[in-house]
Amino acid sequence: MSDRPVLDRLTCVLCPVGCELEVRKDEAGELEVRGNQCDKGVPFALEEILHPRRNLATSVPVRGIASRMVSVRLSGPVPREMIFPILAEIARLRPEAPISRGQVLIADVLGMGVDVIATRTVEP
Amino acid sequence: MIDPVETHDVVVIGGGPAGLAAALGARRAGAGKVLLVERDRALGGILNQCVHDGFGLFLYKETISGPEYAERLIEDVVREPIKVETGAMVLDLTPDRILRVNARSGYKLIRAGAVVLAMGCRERTREMIEIPGTRPAGVFTAGSAQNMVNLQNLHIGNEAVILGSGDIGLIMARRLTFEGIVVKGVFEILPWVSGLERNVRQCLMDFGIPLELNSTIVEIRGRDRVESVVVARVERVVGPGNDDGLAPVPGTETVIPCDTLLLSVGLIPENELSKRAGVALSPSTGGAVVDQALMTSVPGIFSCGNVLHIHDVADWASFEGSAAGESAARYAAGERAARGTVRITAGPNVKYALPQLLTAGTAGTEWSFRTTCPMRNAQVVVEGKTTGKVYVRKKFNRLLPSELQKIKVRQAVEEDVEVSCHE
Repeated sequence: MSDRPVLDRLTCVLCPVGCELEVRKDEAGELEVRGNQCDKGVPFALEEILHPRRNLATSVPVRGIASRMVSVRLSGPVPREMIFPILAEIARLRPEAPISRGQVLIADVLGMGVDVIATRTVEP
Repeated sequence: MIDPVETHDVVVIGGGPAGLAAALGARRAGAGKVLLVERDRALGGILNQCVHDGFGLFLYKETISGPEYAERLIEDVVREPIKVETGAMVLDLTPDRILRVNARSGYKLIRAGAVVLAMGCRERTREMIEIPGTRPAGVFTAGSAQNMVNLQNLHIGNEAVILGSGDIGLIMARRLTFEGIVVKGVFEILPWVSGLERNVRQCLMDFGIPLELNSTIVEIRGRDRVESVVVARVERVVGPGNDDGLAPVPGTETVIPCDTLLLSVGLIPENELSKRAGVALSPSTGGAVVDQALMTSVPGIFSCGNVLHIHDVADWASFEGSAAGESAARYAAGERAARGTVRITAGPNVKYALPQLLTAGTAGTEWSFRTTCPMRNAQVVVEGKTTGKVYVRKKFNRLLPSELQKIKVRQAVEEDVEVSCHE
């Protein structure tokens, strides 16, 4: 099995351990993953090859308060190709204080099933 | 001489993850009066500008962003009767733990039962790595660029080159890409990446940003603003005048037009106060020499987080802070452990091991270490220098200099030991 060609070598990004995963195809043509130290590694590698997902973070200016920014991220990962379309949506945001940590600033952004949330508190 | 105007059981200097956790640790271990001093206007330290996610996996069992991580720790601190002074600068610290503080309310003297150093680190600059060329605008350390982009909404340039593959540099490569800035490449002088693997994948490979190892910037060009940088390959050269053995190869220079250069070329523990207090520093960590309780060479002064040694994961800084705070509370309550006499030294392929000192006979401790180069199928060995006894032998699939590692030493250690690593 291990003499089959490696389709991709990738580093698991789910935690700082950073397992080196190798993905091969077995006799039946199914993808096989090796090198994972925990059971999150296999689904990660398969998703990473077939359909990579990422969270994203940025910050946007708060309306009416000079030089105050609120940092934001997504409540969960999205397909990697959605990063720039979502960033364009976030760039239009000018939220008003007060803002609480975890507050939803854009619900279900671009129909992706995740929200853009504030990651810090901004007092008025 | 003015008499001390305030007395606290434990004073923590620095309100980043290590300092916040230290203040909480001190309370948990029974310290009555705890003071946390932070020179910035707000608590949280560098976490406030680290808007990316990936923090907190060990402490909170989920991945969150830096600001969220900071706010959670701050909320815990605020719930406790911990006195917090922000916008306050500790000007001096004496070996008998008198602090001179320039606080918002004015200058004051503070007497501390125990002190926790948690001042963090600062970035290496262009001057420190001596890049030749002109002195135009547009050269930033990666962390200051992060502050300008994430906290000040400043547009720092249009086309950037990043020197050094530290984590902040990698994170900023992605961050600049998000801002529409073209990142033309990341150049690293060593044959390996200094940042975490996951950041290479998520921050560079995802966006097709080139990474070139064994290369460096040999000249910065431009009059008012950076116009280009000259990149060259480096090679190991043995001979006089090359202390680190790496030198640019003539004829390999390439000119890369850009208006912005980010430097991610290392972090330096900020130990000016520690030196004033007479704390002995280690040349291999740049931080204090500590024992298993994280106490420095000056009794009653403890150290944790990036001021002790550079961490790649905030959680480790928090855990270390927590432990230092607990030790400080016990010291302030009058507990005195025997001083560390057993020396823990770094052997082949190990950059440093921490703590550097151990009270003879101590069992069940956890040590941190870092390797000098990437290693595969490696064995880490802790060996007695007198008896040759092997205290620990542990296998690692892979060890990287970018990743701080931990090793448990269950047995009691009575003699000087060496930590080494072999493939």
